Amino acid sequence: MGRVMTDSAYFSREKTTMITIAKIRAGGQPPMNLLNTLKGLLIYKEPEPVEKFILRENDNEASLSNQTDNKQTDNKQQDQKENESDRGTKKLKRQDRGGGGEPPPISRMLQNNLDYIKERFSVPTNSDVMIREFNVIVGKKAIPAFMVYYDGMVDRIVVDTDILMPLMLLSNLDIKSGDARIDVYIRNHLLTHNQIKEVEEFDQVLGEVNFGGCGIFVDGMNTAFAADVKGFEHRTVERPNTEMVIQGPQEGFTETIRVNTALIRKKLKDENLIVEDHLVGERSKTPCSILYIKNLANDSLVAEVRRRLGSIKVDYVQDSGEIEQLIEDSTYITSPQMVSTERPDRVAAMLTEGRAAVIVHGSPFVLVMPTTAFELIHSPEDSYLRVPYANLLRCIRTIAILVALLLPGLYMAITNFHQEMIPTGLLLSLEAAREKVPFPSIVEILIMEVSFELIREAGIRIPGTIGPTLGIIGALILGQAAVAASIVSPILIIIVAVTGLGSFAIPSYSYAYSFRILRFGYIVLGSVAGFLGLSLGIFLQGMLLVSSKSFGVPFFAPFAPRTAGLGDTLLQDPVWKRERRPDYLNPKDNFRQPKISRGWTRQNNGGDNRNGK
Amino acid sequence: MGAITGMASDITFGGWEAVALIINAICARIFLNFPREVAEDAGTAGWLETVYFSILAFLLFYIIARLYARFNRKDILDIAGLAGGETGRIIGGLLLLGLILFAGALILREYTENMKIISLTDSPLGFVMMFFAVAMVAACFLGLEPIVRFIAVSVPIITAGLLFIVLMVAPYYDPTHLLPALGNGFYGIFGKGFFKLSTYSPLVYLFLIPPFLKDQKSFRRIGYTALGASALLLLISSLAYSLVYSYPTSLENFLPVFQLARLINYGRFFQRLESVFVLTFAISAMQYLGVILFFAVHVFKKTFRLEYHRPIILPFAVIMFSLAFVPSNLMTAIDLETKTYMTFAWSITFILPIIILLLARLRAAPGPLGAHPGGSPPTGGHLPESSPQGASATYRRRRSKGGGAL
Repeated sequence: MGRVMTDSAYFSREKTTMITIAKIRAGGQPPMNLLNTLKGLLIYKEPEPVEKFILRENDNEASLSNQTDNKQTDNKQQDQKENESDRGTKKLKRQDRGGGGEPPPISRMLQNNLDYIKERFSVPTNSDVMIREFNVIVGKKAIPAFMVYYDGMVDRIVVDTDILMPLMLLSNLDIKSGDARIDVYIRNHLLTHNQIKEVEEFDQVLGEVNFGGCGIFVDGMNTAFAADVKGFEHRTVERPNTEMVIQGPQEGFTETIRVNTALIRKKLKDENLIVEDHLVGERSKTPCSILYIKNLANDSLVAEVRRRLGSIKVDYVQDSGEIEQLIEDSTYITSPQMVSTERPDRVAAMLTEGRAAVIVHGSPFVLVMPTTAFELIHSPEDSYLRVPYANLLRCIRTIAILVALLLPGLYMAITNFHQEMIPTGLLLSLEAAREKVPFPSIVEILIMEVSFELIREAGIRIPGTIGPTLGIIGALILGQAAVAASIVSPILIIIVAVTGLGSFAIPSYSYAYSFRILRFGYIVLGSVAGFLGLSLGIFLQGMLLVSSKSFGVPFFAPFAPRTAGLGDTLLQDPVWKRERRPDYLNPKDNFRQPKISRGWTRQNNGGDNRNGK
Repeated sequence: MGAITGMASDITFGGWEAVALIINAICARIFLNFPREVAEDAGTAGWLETVYFSILAFLLFYIIARLYARFNRKDILDIAGLAGGETGRIIGGLLLLGLILFAGALILREYTENMKIISLTDSPLGFVMMFFAVAMVAACFLGLEPIVRFIAVSVPIITAGLLFIVLMVAPYYDPTHLLPALGNGFYGIFGKGFFKLSTYSPLVYLFLIPPFLKDQKSFRRIGYTALGASALLLLISSLAYSLVYSYPTSLENFLPVFQLARLINYGRFFQRLESVFVLTFAISAMQYLGVILFFAVHVFKKTFRLEYHRPIILPFAVIMFSLAFVPSNLMTAIDLETKTYMTFAWSITFILPIIILLLARLRAAPGPLGAHPGGSPPTGGHLPESSPQGASATYRRRRSKGGGAL
């Protein structure tokens, strides 16, 4: 830590200068300071050393651990000499300073608990920690108590009406109870809040408080109450930003985990839908939930998701994108191996197929696993559209993928190596257009592709108010100006534009990234070896895809390996024909509906035909 | 469909993958010079020659399949070990390895030369070959599972491409080109045709994959299906070629299927589609070369009981790459193939297994050999079945479909 100029010194010098200038302006004699200033301008003066702020490293671990050990040893010796009540407090503090070991139990002595809580929450340095001390009247006794919570994280009305008011006022009522124990009496008769639990360890209370709850400690109790009184600000349920649909539900997930689980439960009214909670992140303690349908999802799949999530040891997790990276099968394959969606209807539908989902508090994107290469080109809207429309869209999306991936590479291959494929008329016009362009086609296409990627990236980062500027710049680069400057040929602008459209038509944002990256590879391969290069690219990409897995499910299922139920892969079956769940998921129940799901087509048996089973 | 578990020895794949593997290996020759070769042998009766040696192949495979019946889940090297001990296994392995490497080097050279001629005329041979080499090394590193899965997906597409070409040139068909019906005569069809049995030499891979298959029944079924489908495609290609080109012209054409593709001309716009042929040709070649390198490494590993195969992938690739440069030019390579390879390959493919199987049956005690460990077929897959009933039901269902699990 260096010596720095304090604010007061700085302001005092400024003030002096201003007074001097004012005096000169008033026609007075220039004081000595002015002479000094003039002298300072003429004569060289050694600059005053100013020590700048340097972020120093912490003390080394060895000395730190030595100190800690010494302190612990001293404390131990002291502890033996002190009485029991004091020992409780010292023990709490010692364990905290040591930074390790099991969390201490809650003491019966309120003061010890208060001291410990203040130390853990760094009160009074930590300004938003609120500790409210009060008395609870039980019978004729006034028992001291206190409550701890974060200002801004809790719902004040709930705290006042459901916690403090009953404890401070309603305790005066004549309550007929045979409960002799204080904790039982308080829990059964005084605390009217609906989500309250009695805990035995500080860490449980701290966990609750850190997540918008409050902790209540009462003198004489070696337990505490942790009440869920969350009241922090959060976004309301809105339309999903990345998965808009014309037809279908318009609700999207929010950043709040319980809102998200409720949105799914609202769609899936099944008591077999399990929501398992986990905390991820040593410091962030981000709540995550694993969702699955108990009597449908494969047990080993659920166990694997649980295992992967439970084994994560990181400091901080904020978004499901980070969890995705931590639990995915392969890091370096370009394709995503999980569906990341902000649509509750999509999650609910996938859960009913036997998949599992992971919700992360703070993220509006829910991960669903396992998935395959073909499911990533499905849109949630497909199910809501009639089969001809949905299949038209699927075909268009497949074409979009091929275009986004291969079109620039094909252009390079055809123009450089396979010109005979181009009809003569088109070939002549192409050559005429390229006549004035000084670059080889590979440079030309890379300029355009990189420019397009720059525009796309800038479009995301640019503030909304100056967004139209980007449009103008984009139009200049990817437009007539570039052609007029003979930097690129007109056909190339069409190629790049169509490629961009293709990548925008891919429903999965992550999957579109994958094709954006690979496209550059195909451009290079197409330009060095034509169709042979493209063949190599297709072969290598295909091999990588078929060798990949998503939570034990081959990424190219149901084609490689071949499994039953091709109905909903490239094209979509009618709703009444979707009898089977995806075979590669190995669900506990393979059938989701009977063979005759439209009872009205079989009038005789009233649609009760279960032959499909 | 492939049920794959962690250990390499536990890899199992289903019927369709195995069939596709063999079809691709046999029919890769269609894209090279097969239709012209049969035309050279039998003249206008090239298609008849194809039928003849296909029937021979069926008969020989029938014998082998019958002899194989007692050797569940054992490959030809295991059986060679039973027949002749360590020495038997090593001799058998070296013979197979020689065949595979010889075929691999020739095919690598031919594919490269052909690609250079039809598409990359200005590029050096080594540069073109490098693309195939990279593909086969990558495939081999990823392992048999991705190779067979990729082939299972691509073979229908490549077949559709071939049939597309055959159908699109239909306007050029002239049945009189098939006359005289017996072409160059009986010797051309049945004498020279006998050595064309070597066209089916990739069947040797079928004898190496039983440990990866579910049961003997599927082995037999796979063999017949692959032979039938391959025979059909060979027949279609030779027939279409003979129908389009008259006998004298058919002898001159280089890359017959490519020449057929060049004829496609529908309207003013679709005039030159033969470049699309390059895609199917190259992908088919890459996956076949991947199979060749994998099995070369696999045979070597198994012959000498090596624990790992990955360290020898690159050395074997270099050997194949170097051998491919031995022929001084394309004509020498084709000469080596038609006169040397075709003369002896059939014997290693069909006769060697028969001898090994006979010896093994003589030396082995009566009763089934090599039953599946544990007595039950592998369920396969990383995602186990949810319940025993479900598992067995699903397994039966998959077996009935001829596929594997996850």
